[in-house]
Amino acid sequence: MTNDRVSQVAADAKTSAAPREKKVSLGWIRSASVVAGVALLFIVFSVLTNSFYAPSNLLDILLQSSINAMIAVGMTLVVMARGIDLSVGSVVGLTSMITASLLPQNFLLGVVAGIVLGVLCGLINGILIAKLKLPDFIVTLGMLSIYRGAALIFTDGKPIYGIDATFRAIFAGDVGGIPTPVILALAIALLAFLMVRYTALGEQIIAVGGNEEAARLAGINVERVKICVYAISGLLATFAGFVLIGRIGAAEPIGGTGFELQAIGAAVIGGASLFGGEGNPLGALVGALTLGAMQNGLTLLNVPSFWQLVATGVVVIVAVFADQVTRKRR
Amino acid sequence: MQIPNAETPWKPLLQLRGITKAFAGVQALKGVDFDLRAGEVHALMGENGAGKSTLMKILFGVQPPDSGTIVLDGVGEVAIDDPRHALALGIGLVSQEPSLVPQLDVAQNIFLGQTEALGVVPRSQFQAKAQEILKPLAPRLPITARVGSLGMAELQVVEIARTLARGGKIIGFDEPTSSLTPAERDGLFALIQQLKNSGKGIIYISHRIPEVYAISDRVTVLRDGRVVASRATKEVSADELINMIAGRRLAEELQHSAKPVVRAGRTEALRLEGISATGKLHDINLTLRTGEIFGLAGLVGSGRTELARCIFGADRKNGGSVYINGKPLDLRQPSDAKAAGIALIPEDRRKQALVPNMDVERNFGLANFQQYSPSGFLRLKQRRQDIERYIEEMAIRPRRAGVRIRNLSGGNQQKVIIARWLQSGARIFLFDEPTRGIDVGAKFEIHELMRRLAKDGCALLVISSELPEILALCDRVGIMRGGRLVQTIDDCAGLTEDLLMKYASGEVTRS
Repeated sequence: MTNDRVSQVAADAKTSAAPREKKVSLGWIRSASVVAGVALLFIVFSVLTNSFYAPSNLLDILLQSSINAMIAVGMTLVVMARGIDLSVGSVVGLTSMITASLLPQNFLLGVVAGIVLGVLCGLINGILIAKLKLPDFIVTLGMLSIYRGAALIFTDGKPIYGIDATFRAIFAGDVGGIPTPVILALAIALLAFLMVRYTALGEQIIAVGGNEEAARLAGINVERVKICVYAISGLLATFAGFVLIGRIGAAEPIGGTGFELQAIGAAVIGGASLFGGEGNPLGALVGALTLGAMQNGLTLLNVPSFWQLVATGVVVIVAVFADQVTRKRR
Repeated sequence: MQIPNAETPWKPLLQLRGITKAFAGVQALKGVDFDLRAGEVHALMGENGAGKSTLMKILFGVQPPDSGTIVLDGVGEVAIDDPRHALALGIGLVSQEPSLVPQLDVAQNIFLGQTEALGVVPRSQFQAKAQEILKPLAPRLPITARVGSLGMAELQVVEIARTLARGGKIIGFDEPTSSLTPAERDGLFALIQQLKNSGKGIIYISHRIPEVYAISDRVTVLRDGRVVASRATKEVSADELINMIAGRRLAEELQHSAKPVVRAGRTEALRLEGISATGKLHDINLTLRTGEIFGLAGLVGSGRTELARCIFGADRKNGGSVYINGKPLDLRQPSDAKAAGIALIPEDRRKQALVPNMDVERNFGLANFQQYSPSGFLRLKQRRQDIERYIEEMAIRPRRAGVRIRNLSGGNQQKVIIARWLQSGARIFLFDEPTRGIDVGAKFEIHELMRRLAKDGCALLVISSELPEILALCDRVGIMRGGRLVQTIDDCAGLTEDLLMKYASGEVTRS
């Protein structure tokens, strides 16, 4: 209906010079270098140890990475919207405690309560950030402390033993030899990928992260988008908590401590830019796998776990540095 | 290239030879030669994307060239590593966005990056030095003023002073007048004249042809990364210049730029009653009718942008009502305004309208999610078809919907934004500086587009600091001063640039 308005102009218009889209972008080089890095990691560890490339160990890496992968998918969405969620580890702890305590009474209640609580935690983060315009870093850092405190208060710091067998079978079992956490992580990443690609919300996340003011002036409800990503992040942290207690068979109030750094690392290695507007939930899988493989390999090499913490920190900072360098505007 | 006259002895301050630069496959500069003499103003012109900015970035050390040489008088061939290095070599740039530290005062900014500024030397000493440098430039500018509190013209003076403080001999000006008032512009020209007389070499980048005639001795035109011509300004006619820039016969089209037909008897589209915003807007009353283009003139800071943003719900107003088609509406945020059929095309495309990393199609869809994803899932095929139609009809270049929008020229970006709002079904368009930083060819196309919108019954509010633009486009003109709409001129016949300017500055009032 509106196009006849412009047809006259089209008749008058002529070509004007404009640069062409570049075929080989820095982003592409970056993805390639991540893949190369992962490959190198696998080769080095396979050479240095004789158990790294064993199928059972590779499956182990997948399994060990799946918890981080789920959280990292949520983190990727938050980072794409130019936010950060430092509270994910505490959400893991809090929701898994609530679920573990309710499971013996009613299976469904336990699962639903955990999920609702996880989403609620995310909503609180999102509302404080979007509505009250508080800095995301401070809000989620404060919430990291609050949710953790709540988990500890809940059982006075004591763990809950004896997780329901059905629950364990669902969240930490296997289907035809493939562990369910791996399937779950894959499904979550795929769904998130499709959301980014094919839904309005996905595109709005990129727009808000890429240029919040432009998104707002285009009539996008920026607050709603931000609240959504934090809610999703809370939800996915909850699922990660389910897998965690399913695997251990017990819930600890300190479960999930330090997960936020792992998730941020996986997101950034996977291509999410802390400048916002860019990222890929499938990349988060690759990122989680990279960190998982590194930790696994270091364990096989008998590197003490304290040093693994150091290595993880280094890798995350290097990944963020690489992000800065490759994305530096002009 | 032109050989200098034998009777005018000159020495080159700067020679660029065979400069090339490619960005991931796109050849931005294809072997550019450029030279600058002491005591001349050398204008650099060309459409957006022609390579001017790239050339300047190379000269000021922001980017290295792929090949080619830079030779400085008295230094020889140099490789300029970064802007600090450029400054140390005596090359300074007055950019569109000044790179000053708002929290520091004028003197501190002038000596920023030099050890004196670190406080090792007593404050009074470098303040005295700053005073000495500033005196001939702007005697009334207090050196203790915080830079954050200065206007654009003063910021430019500080940038010039900073270059001079380092013994600078070459100063580049990148579109320096785009946010200056005519009076400030005259002040800047006087300053440039003064710098020129003292033997500095000035590179002056501008889209504005009259300015180039007013100030420059020579003009070099770039097109598609090549030098089209480099000649003495007075030997080139404006028509020739436009042809060199655009590479086509646009001069006639531009001149004809027909005055719009007076469109009377239309219905009210937008009415503002007593719009106020603390400290910014005071009791604005205005009626915008369908089919008309209403121009808002006034100095920078007179409240024009603030008014447009208030109408659109981007900023809070604290008094007054907005009526759309006669109905009062409470527009609290941009999404409300969008739903009411209002579009805002903001003044700063890059910061306020575009998501630079997204492609053309997604940028186009930014205001149209209701249309393309009623269920939450995107109708990508439909959207792709629509944007491709706009690309054809509006001659958006390049023709591909999948190109990242930051790789388009300003004019093409603006077309995509207009397409976005056309598709949203908007009937009231608020244009804030619609052709700022856009080359002549695209400017003409956008003006035509705006006239067609009005002809089709849309209501247009156009803010522009370019008075010729207001005069060429608008049926009625309102003049803002100090947050008030001080004058509305219903009959634009006999209105001149001079008169508009006098209204805006408050020299004349008409009852």
